[in-house]
Amino acid sequence: MIRMVAGRIASSSLSIVILVTLVFFMAHLTPGGPAYSILGQKATAASVQEVNARLGLNVPIWQQYFIWWWHLFQGKLGYSYLLSRPVGQLLWTYEVNTMVFYTVSIVLSTALSILFGLIQGVYFGRWPAKLIGGLQLAFYALPAFFVAAMLVLWFSVNMHLLPASGIVNLREVHPGIATYAAHLVLPVITVTILTVSALSRYFGEAVHEELGKDYVRTAAAKGITFQKILFGHVIRNALRPLVTILGLSFPYIFTGGVIVESVFNYPGLGWLMWRSSLSQDYPIVIAIVLLIGVLTVVGNLLADLVNGLLDPRARFE
Amino acid sequence: MSTTTLSAPRGAAAPAGKFIAWLTAKDTLATGVIMGLAILFIGFAAPFLYPPDPYAIHPAAALQSPSWAYPLGTDELGRDELALLLSGGFYTLVIALPAAILAFFIGVAYGLASGLGPSWLDKTLMRLLDAILALPSLIILLFFASIFTPNNTTLILLLGFISWPALARLVRNETMAQKNRDFVLATEQLGASQIYIAHVHLLRVMAPILVVNGTFMVGDSILSLSALSFLGLGVQPPYESWGSLLEQGLDLIALNPWWLILPPGLLVFGSLLSASLTGQGLLARFGGTR
Amino acid sequence: MSAVLKLENLTVSLPRGAAGTIPILEDLNLSIKAGEMLGLVGESGSGKTIAALSVMRLLPARGRITGHAWLDGTDLTTLDERAMRRVRGKGVGMVFQNPLSALNPSKTVGAQIAESYLVHNSVSARAARARALELLSEVGIATPAQKIDDYPHQFSGGMRQRVMIAMALSCSPKLLIADEPTTGLDPLIAGQIMALITRLRREHDMAVLFVTHDLSVVEEHADSIHVLYAGKSVEWGSSRDFFAHPRHPYSEALLGSVARVGQARLQNIEGNLPEPESRPPGCRFSPRCPYKQPDCDAAYPPPSTSTGTTAACFHPLPATARATYAEPLQKQIFAPTATQLTIQNLEVRYHSTGSFLTPAAKLPPALQDIAITLGRGECLGVVGESGSGKSTLGRAVLQMISYSGHITLDGQDFSTLRGAEKRNLRKKIQVVFQDPRESLNPRIKIGDIIAEPLRLAGKTTNLREQVSTLLGRVGLNPEMAQKLPGGVSGGQAQRIAIARALAAEPELIVLDEPTSSLDVSTQAMLLNLLKDLALDSGLSYILISHDFAVVSYMADRIAVLNSGRIVELSDTATLISAPQHDYTKSLLAAAPQLRDRQTAPAQT
Repeated sequence: MIRMVAGRIASSSLSIVILVTLVFFMAHLTPGGPAYSILGQKATAASVQEVNARLGLNVPIWQQYFIWWWHLFQGKLGYSYLLSRPVGQLLWTYEVNTMVFYTVSIVLSTALSILFGLIQGVYFGRWPAKLIGGLQLAFYALPAFFVAAMLVLWFSVNMHLLPASGIVNLREVHPGIATYAAHLVLPVITVTILTVSALSRYFGEAVHEELGKDYVRTAAAKGITFQKILFGHVIRNALRPLVTILGLSFPYIFTGGVIVESVFNYPGLGWLMWRSSLSQDYPIVIAIVLLIGVLTVVGNLLADLVNGLLDPRARFE
Repeated sequence: MSTTTLSAPRGAAAPAGKFIAWLTAKDTLATGVIMGLAILFIGFAAPFLYPPDPYAIHPAAALQSPSWAYPLGTDELGRDELALLLSGGFYTLVIALPAAILAFFIGVAYGLASGLGPSWLDKTLMRLLDAILALPSLIILLFFASIFTPNNTTLILLLGFISWPALARLVRNETMAQKNRDFVLATEQLGASQIYIAHVHLLRVMAPILVVNGTFMVGDSILSLSALSFLGLGVQPPYESWGSLLEQGLDLIALNPWWLILPPGLLVFGSLLSASLTGQGLLARFGGTR
Repeated sequence: MSAVLKLENLTVSLPRGAAGTIPILEDLNLSIKAGEMLGLVGESGSGKTIAALSVMRLLPARGRITGHAWLDGTDLTTLDERAMRRVRGKGVGMVFQNPLSALNPSKTVGAQIAESYLVHNSVSARAARARALELLSEVGIATPAQKIDDYPHQFSGGMRQRVMIAMALSCSPKLLIADEPTTGLDPLIAGQIMALITRLRREHDMAVLFVTHDLSVVEEHADSIHVLYAGKSVEWGSSRDFFAHPRHPYSEALLGSVARVGQARLQNIEGNLPEPESRPPGCRFSPRCPYKQPDCDAAYPPPSTSTGTTAACFHPLPATARATYAEPLQKQIFAPTATQLTIQNLEVRYHSTGSFLTPAAKLPPALQDIAITLGRGECLGVVGESGSGKSTLGRAVLQMISYSGHITLDGQDFSTLRGAEKRNLRKKIQVVFQDPRESLNPRIKIGDIIAEPLRLAGKTTNLREQVSTLLGRVGLNPEMAQKLPGGVSGGQAQRIAIARALAAEPELIVLDEPTSSLDVSTQAMLLNLLKDLALDSGLSYILISHDFAVVSYMADRIAVLNSGRIVELSDTATLISAPQHDYTKSLLAAAPQLRDRQTAPAQT
């Protein structure tokens, strides 16, 4: 078991190294080098030289590569000239907002997905499952920005029920939890709708598949009730694909969804990525790309490890 | 395979249940295909059938809700929303569809090469793929779009290069699973080359998965392009696409311009739905993926 | 003594798509007393598994049961679901086929056994665990205290089946139903499982309903037998009487097609089992019956008893007829005219693929020191259990895996050849795999499958005729060329695989368990076909199987493999009458033997 864990960690580390290298090369694709984008119209040969020197871009590329790693280990992610703040600090500020938002969404989504998936798997072929299946199909096809826009249209503009954007009302001096919560409702609903439509489908299929397996028949032959079979045997095995997907969703807790945050002007990491792309603020863009990549690898690793816990067969490789 | 699939104890079927069953009993494939054809018509044929110029500005008629003169109303510049919608459809489809086709071929080729090639090639390609897949497609799109402002051609290339990894992994896994099956081994024993086997046997067995995923990829491509345009990094002015139209509507949301928001959103939704339904229907027709 | 289980006019109907709900099993009547074992025998499609499941009422949701199933006086068909659950596991224990999928992979073995005890007894978890421990040692698992917390995939096939038996026994049921428990197990292990069941039956005075297609197991262990064909009973009675004098033509044919060590001929049964939708109105076997008469189609024959067993036949076989199939083998020693294949110093080693931190482990060789010479037209049998290396040997000869050593065909050593030369030589050795469906591409028409070797060799003139000829050689209609593999039966699919192999005009065919997935009667037909083909075209065979009887029927010489080595190699007659090595002796003992039925009684 320890072997397997160590092996996975080593493998993931290698993936991260490859990823960082990839991003490094992507970073150097920025035309004219970062200097031009920073200086914009004011670029002259001399000023470019100066910025290059300051950014350490005059050094041969392989040296830059190691400096890059060195900075990463120190947690120095660069400096945004456009916003005049260190990238690391920026990321953290926006980070918190996204984490709150997405953690709530994912917890809610998981709970609802398990509920709907169970119904779908257990009542397979009968009307509850068909109804859920139809809804899944319909909601899965809804683009995120459309759902968000509709919700805003409905609840904010037409019904004046919930705030349309931002995170706090600008007029309030001391925003309390209620304000935060109110601003969270619509984004969370949007993300939940979209996530549940996909997630519940996976779970529903997994439950249905497990119910058809031989060991379920054996359990029935022992005289166990249907509920007990479902909760004692089937769910545990059906959760495995769900865990894998949740692992894949792990990065989103930190990075958020660009679209949803942009619609609601919610100042999270995704929103930051968007605005930085528009304004060509490369240090931020690159830092976020890196962050997401690393988190995805970590998310996969966590999913693998949890799967190992759930599935004894994976433990004894 | 067990002869008993356990299911919940039966209760009384509600009348609502019967209606739902009827609704979903309709052939999903037919529905999907018909919707798809409708979308294609809207995107490729209709723009040429509807006379008004989408980009003509009529400031006096700005922000009007639908009327006889302007069937879908006007935007803030007084442009005919219906014309914009149709034109937007054209650009959306003319970029998204070729991108999907490009991605499809790259994905299949990569996956086959990885699955059939020597072990070292497979390991290398898969590692690379894992690293690429670690980055969500929208993020990569934003990154590249920030580097160069995309024109229509570069958008096709960009979108095409984004969605192939998932297909490649699928194709590679399927190839690995199929290439050691008895009928492939028997054909090898008959003296067939790898290329023959890939072409005559493997592709035929994988056809269902390829077709189904291909339809999903078309839907994804339209979605990605619309999302990118929504964020301002896709189709650039003066051209519009459904995504950018929706974004403009959202900008003015305080004025409750439902005619600017609903139509483009519904069309993107319709495209995705038709792709899903077609994919589902095909899956059912093929009787599963084996 | 009253019966523990009594089935009365049991009829089970299942929904079959467009045809609606049709009866799969009809009018089953049988009874089993305490301590008695009844073998319910039939081929696939006979309804035997449905019968077993219906006693436990484990049928799919829309299945319907009519008739009665009395368990110690209680009619199980009248119980509601709750009461039935109390019976399951407590009054009746069930053991299924394929123990790996029948056990929950993510629960420990101890937990699953304890669970079956806890369902019917309110005791503490500790007491249940103690009971599980007790059961594990009772079913013969050494070191139960260590094994109790292991997971199913950590056990071998035979041990998993013991675990299933332990689970079934946990509440000391009066009846044990075993559905093909030994199918898929190696013969030696299967023998151990049967011995275990027999011992438990005696110790607990338990009635056993044993569902199987394997007649030799029934002969060895069962007190009574009940034969099903196409959903109806055709013959039943005491096992001893049955095997001495079967009365129903189907029984006779079935016995004739079962391979036994040292048997001279296998009897074919022509035709196919009727689908449930299209069963004949009269005797269901009459379309295939060699003794058929006009009145056989009029109505289903009523049971007729004379001495011995009861048969549902208008013209049962006279009880004095001696079975003509039970002729012992007079095998000539095959004198080959020329050497075809030589294997020298063959060794095969598999490498485990290392993961990131664990380096590739060096596994023990799958095959070592293999040296065999095969003559032209000879059939060599390769016998062994799983893990013996027999399949590996086949794959090495086929050049499908890498090996060290020399394999020479017609004087040409494969290791000296490359590229096109090697491919051309390789074509002369063809293969027939175990699972006929897997060996045919499900999306290609049968005609094209058979034509493929012809196309690859460039022999495309008159393709359709060539294909028809090949189909005819294996006894199939030319119309079959238009079908897809999914639309034919297992036996037909295997014949198509043979036709494809023949199309490449090979000199040698490697047959890797060619009949293991098929029904007994289909098996006989296929083996006879292979024999005829060899005689026609001078083909040599390497026949790989775990079934000693099948191999002894077909092969001129037999090689016995154990753990990658040849332990004995000699001609068939000598090997089966005077085996030298102990392992060979134990394999022979576990294989179905020819018995002199007039005198030897069935063992209990």
